[in-house]
This record gives sequence, C-alpha cells and structure tokens, in this order.
Amino acid sequence: MKRLAILAVFVFIFTMILAPVMAQAGTPALKADTKTPAPKAAVKADAKDPIRLGAIWDYAGPCYMLSESAVQGIKIAVDEINAKGGIIGRKIDLIVRDTEMKVDVGARETKDLILREKVHFLIGPCSSGVALAVQVVQAESKVLRITCMANTEAQVVDKFTPYVAQVVPNTYMEAIAATRFMNKKYPAAKKFCTIAPDYEFGRREEAAFAEEIKRLVPDSEILYQAWPKPGEKDFTSFITAIMAQKPDAVHSSLFGGDLVAFTKQAAPYGFFEKIPFIALYDLPVFVALGNDAPDGVMAFGRGCFFMDPNPKMMEFVDKYRKARGAYPDSWAVQAYDSVYLLKAAVEKAKSSDTEKVIVAMEGITLDSLRGKFTIRPLDHMGSVPCYQGVIAKDPNYPFKIWKDVVRVPGDQVWRSEEGVREVWKKTGVTR
Amino acid sequence: MSFDVLFNQFLSGIARGSMLFLVASGLSLTFGVLRVLNFAHGSLYMLGAFLTYSIWKWLLIPVYGFYVATLLSALVIAGIGLLIEYSILRRLYARGWPEQLLATYALILIITDTVKWFWGGEFLSIPRPEPFTKAVFLFGFPFPSYNFFIIILGLVLVFFLWWLVYKTRLGDIIRAAAHDRDMVSALGIPIPWLFTSIFVLGAFIAGLSGAVTAPYGSIALGMDIEIIVECFAVVVIGGMGSLPGTLLGSFIVGQVYSFGIMYKPELALAFIFMVMAIVLIIRPWGIFGRPER
Repeated sequence: MKRLAILAVFVFIFTMILAPVMAQAGTPALKADTKTPAPKAAVKADAKDPIRLGAIWDYAGPCYMLSESAVQGIKIAVDEINAKGGIIGRKIDLIVRDTEMKVDVGARETKDLILREKVHFLIGPCSSGVALAVQVVQAESKVLRITCMANTEAQVVDKFTPYVAQVVPNTYMEAIAATRFMNKKYPAAKKFCTIAPDYEFGRREEAAFAEEIKRLVPDSEILYQAWPKPGEKDFTSFITAIMAQKPDAVHSSLFGGDLVAFTKQAAPYGFFEKIPFIALYDLPVFVALGNDAPDGVMAFGRGCFFMDPNPKMMEFVDKYRKARGAYPDSWAVQAYDSVYLLKAAVEKAKSSDTEKVIVAMEGITLDSLRGKFTIRPLDHMGSVPCYQGVIAKDPNYPFKIWKDVVRVPGDQVWRSEEGVREVWKKTGVTR
Repeated sequence: MSFDVLFNQFLSGIARGSMLFLVASGLSLTFGVLRVLNFAHGSLYMLGAFLTYSIWKWLLIPVYGFYVATLLSALVIAGIGLLIEYSILRRLYARGWPEQLLATYALILIITDTVKWFWGGEFLSIPRPEPFTKAVFLFGFPFPSYNFFIIILGLVLVFFLWWLVYKTRLGDIIRAAAHDRDMVSALGIPIPWLFTSIFVLGAFIAGLSGAVTAPYGSIALGMDIEIIVECFAVVVIGGMGSLPGTLLGSFIVGQVYSFGIMYKPELALAFIFMVMAIVLIIRPWGIFGRPER
C-alpha cells in the first residue's frame, strides 16, 4: 500500500513538473470550453472611448526577459501616441496579462482579456506554443492579434486566420535567409549538423534549413540533428556528438540562455575554430557572454540597433535607454513596431472595428524602425527584414556586436503565395 | 565509431553525471534521514547560482573571486536552509506526504518569484575561473578542464559524504535515525537538532552545486525545474536516500543521456525515463534503496 502511495506521489510530481515543459512542446489541443459562443468583443464603442490594447506575454522561464523588453517597447509606443492625442482622437489603454508560458493559462487569460477587459486588439505572446493556443481563442472571438515574437509559421500559414498579422520574420523566412547567408560564406560546405531547441520553433527552423540547403547544394547531406530540450544547461554531450560527425558547418536555432550555455561549453573544444556555426546571437546573448562571445562566428537576428542603425532606430535607442537604462533588443523593436502597425491600420480604417481594421491592414506599408515593410494581403505576413552578420568587437559598446551585416527584405525569403496555398490545401485552409 | 569518439562521449556523460550527483546527493541525503522529499532543492540550487553571480560581481576580485563567491553563496543558502527547516519543515515531519509536497512546492513558487523580483528575468553568465578556462587533451581530443573540476568536486563530495555517514559518530546516528527515528530519540539523541543540521547540509550542497554550474552554462529562471526532474530520475533509479545509489543513478543517467544523444537524439530524454520506469517495475525502491515498511 505504501509502495503504491509513493508511486502515486511520483506520478503527481512528474505531471506537475512536466506540464509546463509539455506545454511548450506541442500544438495545443483545446478542450470543449472554447466552444462557448463567440463573444462580441468590441461592444459598439463610443468614438471617444479609449482603444483597449491587450498585451499577452509569457513572464516565465526563458520568455521572461523577452516579454519584459516587449512590454517596454509597447509602453514607449503607447505613451508616445497618447501624448500626441492618441489614435483617431482616442487614447490607448494598455492591459498587460501573464500566461506563465503555459498554453492553458494563455488561453484563459486571452479569453479574460476579450470577455472582461473587452480589448479591441492583442499583441503577443513570446512562446510559439502559447501563441497557437492564444490564436484558437482570439480567432474564435474575432479579435485581431499582432504577433511580434512568437514566430512559428503555423500562425500565418498552416493554421491561418484573418485575425492574426505577423511582424517578425517567421521560422521559414528566418531559416531560409540564414541558410543562404551561411551558404554564401561557406559555399564548399556539404555535410551539415543541426542543433535546435526541441519544440515548435526549433523544429520548424530546422525543417526550413533542410529544405533550403537541398535547393542550394543538391548533393548536401545532413549527418546529425540534435534536439536539446528548451532550457538545457549542459550541452557537452551534444557538442561531442556533433564534433564526432566532423561536419563542414552547423546550423542552429538555439537562442537566449541556451545559446549562452552552448557557446561557453563548446569554446574549450575549439568548436568555433574548427566548425563554421550560425545561431541566433542577438543583444541579450552578447550582454550575458561578454568576452566569451566568439569572434567571427555567424549570427542571425530580427533587427536591433547594431543590425539596422538607421536614424529612426537610433532615436528609439535613446528613448529606450532613457526609460530603462539599457539598450533595447530586437524584441522591444518589434513590439514597438506592432503598436504603430495598429495605429496605421486604425487610422486608415477610421474605426476600431476589427473587420474594417483588417481590411485596412491588408497591403498597408509601415515605415518602421526596421525600414519599410508591407503586410501581404494573402496571409497577413509582414515583409519584415531578416538580418545576418558576423560577431565582432566594437570599442563603442561594452558588449560584442555584428559586422558585415546583411539585411534581407522579407519578400525575398518568404514562402511564395503559391507555396502558401499549397500548404493550405494540406491543412484545409480556404481563402 | 572509433575509440576516441566513444571515449569522449563517455567523458561527457561523466561530466553530466557529476553535475547531477552534486545536486542529487543533497536531495537524497535530506530524504534519507528526514523522510521529506524536498521539492524545493532545485530552487535552492538556482538561488545559489544567482547569488554567486551577484557576490562575484560585487567582490570584483580578479582571479579567485569566483571561488570566494561560491563559498559565500553556499553558506548563505545553508542559512536559508536553516530558516526553512526551523520555520516550516519542522512542523511537517509528523504530517503526511501531501502536506510536505505542498509546502515544498510552495517554496518553489516563493523562491522563483523572489529571484524574478530581485534579478529580473535576464539570463546571466560568469566566465570560467582560472585555471579552468582552457581544455586538456586526452588521446588528442580536447576536454574542457572545468568539467574536470566538476568531476573532482563530485568525487570530493562522495568521499566527504561517505566519510560522514560511515566513519563518524554523527554518521552512525544519521543511519540509525534513517532506520528508526523513534528508537534513536528514545536513546536521548536530540532528533530535531539532527534534522536541522542534515537539512542545512543538504541546502549547503544545493547552494554549492548551483554556484559551480554558474560558470558552466548560463544562470536563468527555470534552471530549478530543469535540474530537479533529472535529479528525481537519479534518486528513483539509485534508491531514495542511498548514497551509493545516488552515485550509481547519476552515472547511469549521465551515460544513458550522453549516448542517447549520440545515437538517437530525439529520444535521449525519453531513454532516461524508460530506465526509470524499468527500475520502478523491477525494484520500486531503487537499485540501492530499501523497501518501505
């Protein structure tokens, strides 16, 4: 009896611990409770009522810092707009909610934002897994969401809904651009390994890499693919397993703290001297790594000041540094752009009515911090740029940055309209 | 597969196993004597890593600052352990498993939020300390010297705990208390004092292991849960509360994971839990554990 009790306790512990891990891992299957009749989100609003903006973010684990940056970016944009009289004469009210990076909490908080807070629009979240759960709820309630960090292509392609627009390069675009960059730098490389976090984001990035490298180098070969769990802190076994394969180059979509740990553990093996490597080396990783960031290693990113030092971006850097005392990362940049995309669409529609705003948004061109981009009417994907570069020291900054930066406009790497329709045929989207 | 490749993978597994042993030994020690499954052990480990970072930054001692910070933060964590045992756990020994689980789970939430509040969500990193910045060469293949540091620290801890538990009078009491605490108490040995010191020692080990992981990888929220899942696998395989069991469990989990990564990376994590499931079926009390009465 006691044995049984102990077993039961273990089962309890593991479900409790693994629940959030599983939550990120797969596509959520929402229960019947979403079947409640779709509420009318925006009650016929007075023209002078504030526009209610819901920020839904994942204040947990690896997403915590990213979410903080994003909300800061949103706040700066909202304050700016409100100081100038708001959008079509209406102020913006910002309501921030936390998903704890769990799909069930994400769905619940989204529902609450829509039903109780009566938000007109949503921005967020961080995790691709949570994003797909949020998407089910907001699409059913017919509330528009701008996704600026969670970048799984499923949001706009596989599970397309008109109620989502994406202003971050999706997994497909990002990986295609990075693969081309790597191929240009190392055209002779034929044998590859990959290492990516084992969830929606990593899986999709590496699938796109495999697709593109076959196109660029038809006789190429992927020798080995490593799938560490998100949050892995010990990569030693992965590193030795990859080096044992003697690849010509390694493509990776590790990011954040995982990439910091990987880099520190790979360096003593001489990994970066022996094997060309590309990963999501962006500002927070450089700040954490300091001098441990490996010079000359390839990097891709989503657009912060050292990737795109245009005047508008540098002006934002000053504003952000005043507000937070730190340099803004790309997460803050994209969140800031999202608010201005909404502003442009609402002004064009002259209304906060969701359907009218969506129509106005299709084909709209925004002069963003990352230069101009357009929302493609077909799938609501923004032609946002993808950036690649090489890690280097710069005496002007207390951390390493990039040199030889390449900016690839989104429309050069996104899935063609025919390609999108082909996927839709498989997933049953009609449009 | 050539010998050097397999040997290197083996060494990677040993390094991972040592890291797991550092954390799991504290968990297992606490359970063995107190019969409390300290769910928050991983949180103390995380707190140890964050504290080490702050102390290291604040000290600004160039070369050996990290070692000083490690020791200081382990001591602070031991102090926090004292506080936790004295104010919370002490009241729960007589209660059942569910209460103890809930209390230590609550501690996880409290510590996580404290870390969030104090350090924010940033991930931090400490450069590797001298003299462990480079690699050593084995069979012409490099192996990071910091991994050796961790392996050696793991061995030192094994010997220290073995000496403490099997060679000292305190060890005799510990083993006796683990076997039958009422009897030990009847012999006039102050059980509350014994329990407090064991819990403090467990917390010290948690803090220490958190500190030494700081230069190894990155310091981030979520590292508590990440490690505790594997530690549970270790202690379930080896046997709850058994020192040799924890050592063997760490070795098995490290190797299974390391070679799993090499041959079937998608299933590497699953292999660990398959081994755990098999052990649970054949010997529910673990390889070196003893059945509950």
